[in-house]
Amino acid sequence: MAQDKAKTARACGKEGDDSMNHDELITLFNEQLFIADLKARDRDGVLQEMIDHAAKAGVIRDRDVILGMLKNRESLGSTGLGQGVAFPHGRSLAIPTLMALFARSVKGVDYGAIDGKPVHLFFMFIAPPVEKENRYLPALGQVVEMIRDEPTRQRLLAVKSFADFRKLILGED
Amino acid sequence: MPSLNEQLLLLVALQDLDTMIREAEDKVHAEKLTAMGFPLEGVEDLRRARKELAESIDRLLLNRYERILGRLGRAVVPITGDVCLGCFAIIPTSYTSAENRDRILQCENCGRIFYWPRGT
Repeated sequence: MAQDKAKTARACGKEGDDSMNHDELITLFNEQLFIADLKARDRDGVLQEMIDHAAKAGVIRDRDVILGMLKNRESLGSTGLGQGVAFPHGRSLAIPTLMALFARSVKGVDYGAIDGKPVHLFFMFIAPPVEKENRYLPALGQVVEMIRDEPTRQRLLAVKSFADFRKLILGED
Repeated sequence: MPSLNEQLLLLVALQDLDTMIREAEDKVHAEKLTAMGFPLEGVEDLRRARKELAESIDRLLLNRYERILGRLGRAVVPITGDVCLGCFAIIPTSYTSAENRDRILQCENCGRIFYWPRGT
């Protein structure tokens, strides 16, 4: 686990000056991009439900383009990293700024995760192809590192509102 | 044959796919993702998807895309405000009207194809 953390820290730039702390991380999320309990029961359904949610919030213009990008990303390799968590992510021209969306599935979803287990927690990151502030990989790496912690995963499973989620990310409870 | 708007969206999807393939093949980027735990073994699947997608695009438009891609690295660029994010030239005001946002227009300075994401 310590080795995993060190590798992830390197991946998201924590050894240099490219890190992201939890205060910065939470600014990427918002209440409009929070789903307390997904209805979908399979991978494509989850991606569609999350993208539909973002489209309704007015964050994206061409939902089908982004949905296609996310499905292609899954064919590159599953973003279900195991232990009940998936990180659908990628870059698309159809988004003007980095978007982060959190969703939870109480029942769990067959997502094709690398450990074959159902996924309950979804962190979606979609970035434009060129990003002035370069927050995409640091944010992704920060969340990947955060969810390696079993108690954090358990607490995320119990969040019922964006306020709960925000407190958890900021370590306020 | 898909409408002009659909053709533009196909170009956007093609560029997204090209970006993904390029990043998966970029050693530094790929190392970052694999260090996080993401497997990246499906590049050939992406190439197949790219071939299929390219076949659905008007041949002349695809040729234009490929030429710009080969010359400038990115063929389609988002527009924020009235600036081309490919070369940072100011776009003529006649280009930025709402009805032009679904048309295939190119930058007069660099030749890249314009796309307006929501919110810009």
